Amino acid sequence: MAGSFEEVRIMKNSISIFWRKRSDFYKIRLTKCLECGKVSFPSRTKCPYCGSKNVRIVEASGKGTLVNYTVSYYRTEDSDELQPRIIGLVKLDEGVIIPAEIVDVDPDSLRKGLRVEAVLRRLKSDDPFGLIYYGLKFSPVLK
Amino acid sequence: MGKVFVAGVGMTKVGRIFNKGYKELAMEAVDKALNDAGIAVSEVDYLVVSSAFSDSLLNQVDISSILAQEMGIDVPAISVNTGESSGVAALEAALNAVRAGKSNTALIIGVEKLSEFPSAKINSSFSHVLDYEIEGIRGIAPINYAALLLKEYMKRYGVKRDDIFQWAIEMHKRAEKNPYAYLRFALDLDKARNSQVISSPLTLYDVAPLADGAAAAVLVNEDLQTTIRTQPVEIVATASATAPPIYLRNDMLDMLATKKALERLRTTVKFKMGKDIALQVHDSFSIYGFLALEELGVCGRGEGVKAIGDLQYLNVGGGLKARGHPVGASSLYALDETVLLMRDSFSGLRYDGDAALIHSISGAENNAWLALLKR
Amino acid sequence: MDRPEGKTGIIGWGVYIPRYRLKASDIAKLWGFDPTTPSSLGIHEKAVAAVDEDSITMGWYAASSAIKRAGIKPEKIEAVFVGSESKPYAVKPSGTVIGDALGVSRKRLTTDLEFACRAGSEAVRLVVSLVSSGTIGYGLAIGSDTAQANPGDVLEFTASSGAAAFVIGPAEDAAARFEAVVTYVTDTPDFWRREGSKYPMHGEGFTGEPAYFHHITSSVNLLMEETGLRPEDFDYAVFHQPNGKYPLRVASKLGIPKEKVLPGLVTPWIGNTYNASALIGLSKVLEEAKPGQRILVAPFGSGAGSDAMSLIVTDKASARVNEAPTVEDFLSRKTYIDYAEYAKSRHIIWRNWG
Repeated sequence: MAGSFEEVRIMKNSISIFWRKRSDFYKIRLTKCLECGKVSFPSRTKCPYCGSKNVRIVEASGKGTLVNYTVSYYRTEDSDELQPRIIGLVKLDEGVIIPAEIVDVDPDSLRKGLRVEAVLRRLKSDDPFGLIYYGLKFSPVLK
Repeated sequence: MGKVFVAGVGMTKVGRIFNKGYKELAMEAVDKALNDAGIAVSEVDYLVVSSAFSDSLLNQVDISSILAQEMGIDVPAISVNTGESSGVAALEAALNAVRAGKSNTALIIGVEKLSEFPSAKINSSFSHVLDYEIEGIRGIAPINYAALLLKEYMKRYGVKRDDIFQWAIEMHKRAEKNPYAYLRFALDLDKARNSQVISSPLTLYDVAPLADGAAAAVLVNEDLQTTIRTQPVEIVATASATAPPIYLRNDMLDMLATKKALERLRTTVKFKMGKDIALQVHDSFSIYGFLALEELGVCGRGEGVKAIGDLQYLNVGGGLKARGHPVGASSLYALDETVLLMRDSFSGLRYDGDAALIHSISGAENNAWLALLKR
Repeated sequence: MDRPEGKTGIIGWGVYIPRYRLKASDIAKLWGFDPTTPSSLGIHEKAVAAVDEDSITMGWYAASSAIKRAGIKPEKIEAVFVGSESKPYAVKPSGTVIGDALGVSRKRLTTDLEFACRAGSEAVRLVVSLVSSGTIGYGLAIGSDTAQANPGDVLEFTASSGAAAFVIGPAEDAAARFEAVVTYVTDTPDFWRREGSKYPMHGEGFTGEPAYFHHITSSVNLLMEETGLRPEDFDYAVFHQPNGKYPLRVASKLGIPKEKVLPGLVTPWIGNTYNASALIGLSKVLEEAKPGQRILVAPFGSGAGSDAMSLIVTDKASARVNEAPTVEDFLSRKTYIDYAEYAKSRHIIWRNWG
């Protein structure tokens, strides 16, 4: 991905924001509230339903089912190479619904109920010389 | 607690205004509002500015102090940002200042300049009304949620894709009569149907255009209202709430923040919701317009499409959809349009009702704000 | 004499082959090659990684499958070695990302290795040594590449994307245990990429006899010499697969029949995945071999060197096959793309960034 040196070389994304939260980008982590019993995405220090600090962070298996999706042509600063993007709601096998990008699927073969699994991909890339930021997206399960 | 009135309003045209900067737009709206009220700028004793993207897109932090300097005044000046609903939040801040006796004459400015950069950059900033660390980094934009909601809504209530375009068609009808509106042209079903897909099944005409614009309003207390020359419209109450992100909601079609804000508003003031009330709802995407009508109790669930034809006083300026969406200014446009409607007439419409309601949300309804006006 | 590698084995294996395929005939047509060029190289199509994939993401997938098959907790892994000639970063380890994303122990050795196409194989050797010496309990050896080829170069027909990974640990729990491993290396400059250059260059025919054939035959002969094994002792033979022809020719030079090579030959359908090439072939064989069968694996890397390994399949292998996607699963999952999409995916089209 080399470019001429006249190309923009700024780092748009924050190293520390990504680094600090990398566990949440590399794994699907959930917040299980020991007060109200609800489980939520992603990891938080307080339950987003009841505000309790009595929470435990649990790791999801990374498998789930597509429950809703949209094929997005909406262009943002770092979306160009990935267009069109598929954004969906995935119901994890743990029962929690999370928003996620779906990759490696032909838009025509998208359907509710599609089994998907978390896969590591490039989330963002400060091209051409900055950092590449990795995180989980979802793709149809192979097995 | 003393009453607070809108003494003057002023708007600029909404659109891509390349030959004016945000300061010029703001000053134009301010001059109009002060003239309208018959108040000199030196009488302003409190300034509240609503701008969602001044920091990220105009490189301007503390825009309220800069605008105070521009006006040549030295009053307390605060900036308010609750994303897309900043305008009503600014109204509440000004209302509180007047009620608390900190201000007799408060000026509110909503200003946004969204044509200064390429759309990809604007879209990125607009996406940051969602949780950046959770949704933004993962490339999820508000429009994607709107598309998911639209699919769910159509499926649950058996609403057809074409039915949803009725929102845009109705809004364009209104905007045609609004001299300040961005999209002042009639829209027919064919044109809407053939517009480009932005996030399936949502197309161009389901989306409010981000645009430049400024709207201002002057609030005065009870003592001063007799001295102003316009017919005063009272700000009776404001109310708001935040709510969990939609992926955490049991039913994503529930507008939880709107519901809570409405409950709160009803504890402070009595008013009757009905098809004849003057109402401004947030329609950044047409699906939110329908959901808002239903959540506010104007019509039953899934009945928004059927109801919209009868709602003469809904979004009289064309809504965000057709007036345009200069984000931080949008709900102040709604305020100004409503004040003009209640005073005398707006876009050739006369309104006989006593009350009017303004509704505004941000993102995928991360918050909701309401303001109740009375004649 | 007991060889130290005898104490170790492959506990779990995993591969990754991206979904997208580019037909070799499309390349021939675009760049004006004779239409028979693909068949002369023994290549039908090659695997192309998506725009948001690279050797880190593919290595992660292969390694997570290897861990699933191994049936161990990732925290028990104490080394992550990544062999690649297409590292996303010139400076910054890939193994740190892969290790953390997998949840591997932080008390781990981690480094990226470079030796053209055999760095992943050297990773295997290093982990075998660390396990056999008792330094670590389990280690991960990964070979992963999004191989680059100068557009229009003959290399473009084969340079492809893929990954393979192995959890290596004690022989008692192995799906296949190492019997012997040897390496043969010389200074033979057949293929290289200079610092700052986007695409590698090569010596065309020089990559054959003095490089590929000499090094593989030397390492395999060395293995036979040291162990007393003969070609007929092996049930399968897997060689580095730069194209569809070389592995069959080197087998014939070594007196190994074609039938023993074909089960592990994947390049005709996915291209040359460089550091994953022979290792994906080995994985495919592990997915069909019977207990007690012996596998010869001889990866090759330009520059040049070859490792020759003898592995014996155990009765634990077959139960682990379906714990993760198999090579066959990946071979049958494919979507064809055109050259333009390939060019976009592999960053051959230059854009302004803004």
